[in-house]
Amino acid sequence: MNITLATALVAGLPLTAAAVAFAHPRVGRMAALGTGLLLLPVLAVLVLEALRTGPWRHNLGGWTAPLGIGWQVDALALTLLALTTLVALAAAVYRVAEGRLTRDSRYRRYFWPLWLFLWGGLNALFLSADLFNLYVILEMVSLAAVALIAAAGGPALAAAWRYFLATLLGSTLYLLGVALLYGQYGALDVSLLSGRAEEELVTLAAAVMITLGLLLKGAIFPLHFWLPPAHGRAHAAVSAVLSAVVVTAAFYLLLRLWFGPFAGMLPGLPAQLLGLLGAAAVLWGGVLALLQRHLKMVIAYSTVSQLGFALLVFPLAAADALPDQAHAGMLMLLLAHGLAKGSLFLAAGCLAWQWGSDHLRRIGPPMAGGSLPAWIAIALAAASLVGLPPSGGFVAKWWLLESALAARAWPWAAVIVLGTFITAGYLWRILRDPLRATSVDSAVVPAQGPPLPIPLAMPWAALLLALAAIASGLFATALRSAFAAGGLAG
Amino acid sequence: MGAPGLAFDGILGAALLWTAWQAIHAAGLFRAVVSFMVFGLLMALAWVRLEAPDIALAEAAIGAGITGALLLSALGRLDWEAGRATDECLRGRDRAFWVPTGLLLLAGLGGAAWLLPAPGLGEPVAAELGRSGVENPVTAVLLNFRAWDTLLEIAILLLGVVALWSLGPTPWPSSPELVSPALPMLGRVLFPAFVLVSAYLLWRGSHAPGGAFPAGAVMGAGGVLMLMAGARPWLSGDVHGPWRWALALGMVAMLGVAFAVMTGGHGFFEYPVELAGRLILLLELAAGLSIALLLFALYLGGEPPADWETRRPA
Repeated sequence: MNITLATALVAGLPLTAAAVAFAHPRVGRMAALGTGLLLLPVLAVLVLEALRTGPWRHNLGGWTAPLGIGWQVDALALTLLALTTLVALAAAVYRVAEGRLTRDSRYRRYFWPLWLFLWGGLNALFLSADLFNLYVILEMVSLAAVALIAAAGGPALAAAWRYFLATLLGSTLYLLGVALLYGQYGALDVSLLSGRAEEELVTLAAAVMITLGLLLKGAIFPLHFWLPPAHGRAHAAVSAVLSAVVVTAAFYLLLRLWFGPFAGMLPGLPAQLLGLLGAAAVLWGGVLALLQRHLKMVIAYSTVSQLGFALLVFPLAAADALPDQAHAGMLMLLLAHGLAKGSLFLAAGCLAWQWGSDHLRRIGPPMAGGSLPAWIAIALAAASLVGLPPSGGFVAKWWLLESALAARAWPWAAVIVLGTFITAGYLWRILRDPLRATSVDSAVVPAQGPPLPIPLAMPWAALLLALAAIASGLFATALRSAFAAGGLAG
Repeated sequence: MGAPGLAFDGILGAALLWTAWQAIHAAGLFRAVVSFMVFGLLMALAWVRLEAPDIALAEAAIGAGITGALLLSALGRLDWEAGRATDECLRGRDRAFWVPTGLLLLAGLGGAAWLLPAPGLGEPVAAELGRSGVENPVTAVLLNFRAWDTLLEIAILLLGVVALWSLGPTPWPSSPELVSPALPMLGRVLFPAFVLVSAYLLWRGSHAPGGAFPAGAVMGAGGVLMLMAGARPWLSGDVHGPWRWALALGMVAMLGVAFAVMTGGHGFFEYPVELAGRLILLLELAAGLSIALLLFALYLGGEPPADWETRRPA
């Protein structure tokens, strides 16, 4: 297949499908599933091309920067595109199966267009190398995400509203920073700016504003206040994509900018500050996850905590001992976390359907009628999230730890180890509490009667994502060399 | 620029600050919204003074017109008591924090803007204008150099409508509280003018300030005015009707052209130079029509019924 066409399809296909799904709601399901199934081979073509020729750039409309918009295809972009496609496809399968259990027709009519807009926005985001284009895309992703959260109704409406305000403020801050950069350097392209940006006051002000905006959008400590209710109360399929990919998108932009135009300013205070935020997120998010009573809230707080690990890439890469190892570890973490988190939310959705609640003491034990596949998915995803070998989560944390040890950065190494223990703690609780509920009863009324039967495709979608999270660890060596071929450090 | 110009700009700047302050601090939400609309109109004037007529048009039509109408209709749906409760928007302690913070931020941004060299991209745009297919640099940027941005913006407008419709059915016709006896007649007299102006703006876009966004906004504003004047909305949410496709037309046309040019061996959105002018006109038409309908659909505030007579839901 033509490489240009393949790249264009990655961004254009979901958007076309979104328009079709809006104009003709009956085909919405098919449009979403078809988009995912078509994108898999398209992405395979792009990955093979990247392995063959290394990273490349595509100038839209044939106009080169600074006039036109560029697409950047490299290891970082392709990894996140693959993650988006896998999670969005699995969640779409889950949602199609779940659709048989619901009767809400408005939600059914508008779910797929919103879903495809979100998908198209994410794909466009991971391709784009233009800061203003990225602003437009961020707005698209936010709006679609807000509407999808609000679709759950009830308490989710308030959560969606809070997310909307937070994300709008984040976009505005980001845009202010971009305007400063454009005014100073007359360019919006990331690679052009990397060549032109100097360490001066305007760049610093722009960096501060853009970073603040993205920290808010990425729910990074201490600006994570909006995430747990929004991700915890949305429908499971929506939570899966939000937690696995949407917050990662903001983090992805931080990477592009701090290892691009702002790279000169990174060593020193900025890297340490970002690392400190990450460490605080790991610990604070982890402790709060331990204190939650609802399965989906545990998983949502875990997102705050796990993204903190990824932030450690800034001080570790800036320390310059094993920067490539830190980058590879971070990339692996984004991939493994996204797959595991998507799986956890989908499995939590299955259990909530079966037992009528996702309260940790009300979901029944694994052996009770038909909930075994969902429980296996939770166990496997948890294993990867904690970092048990041979999962992707293990490889990711191992690489990060190696980089920290090589740099003699003991505090960061300690954070990684401590964070892993906390992760093990709250995930152990998820697995333990349901078993307890059968023997020792507290004030909480246990689940009544046998669990509701659900379509098998729902837990299987979760299970497949969990298996992918484990598999990413098994193929770690291959992935590592693929990352290197695709231009690891952006 | 002589002394009269300077004096005018000074008054304009002061009036902008005053209306902005009023929009935030007015005693009632209604006054705040009206101040905001006046602010939009003055802002349009400011853009004219800055010799950016394109932005002035968009600001007047979207910033003052459509946004003002949306805010007013939202105000009509608000619980009046709830609206009054938010009147006292800043308490003393909050004010002690936000006023200095805001001033500091303003000073910082003002200083930065003053120091920026603002190189802009006027020269590269002018250099490539000959190959863009149009003579108006703004249209060249919007529909050729950065057409991907424009596609995404139109997509966001459609997404906004989808998001709004997903939240609930339209409350229209709710009893409009602002209706005046002159409005229906005024609406009928003015609507042809709206159509004429937007058609003119659309045609003008290829060589002078104008184009799809202002044209669509003016047309949409005309539709909103008709609605306020008591006309029955004709846009339905029927899944079989033409309206959903018409709403998606702009985005679909842009995607279609972007992919279609690839059959000739060009890249995504890479128009053949000899066809560029005609393709851009086609896209302007499709986008302008869609934008007008989308703004109108936003104003309905929810999913319209499949049939307005029976109010059968879509």
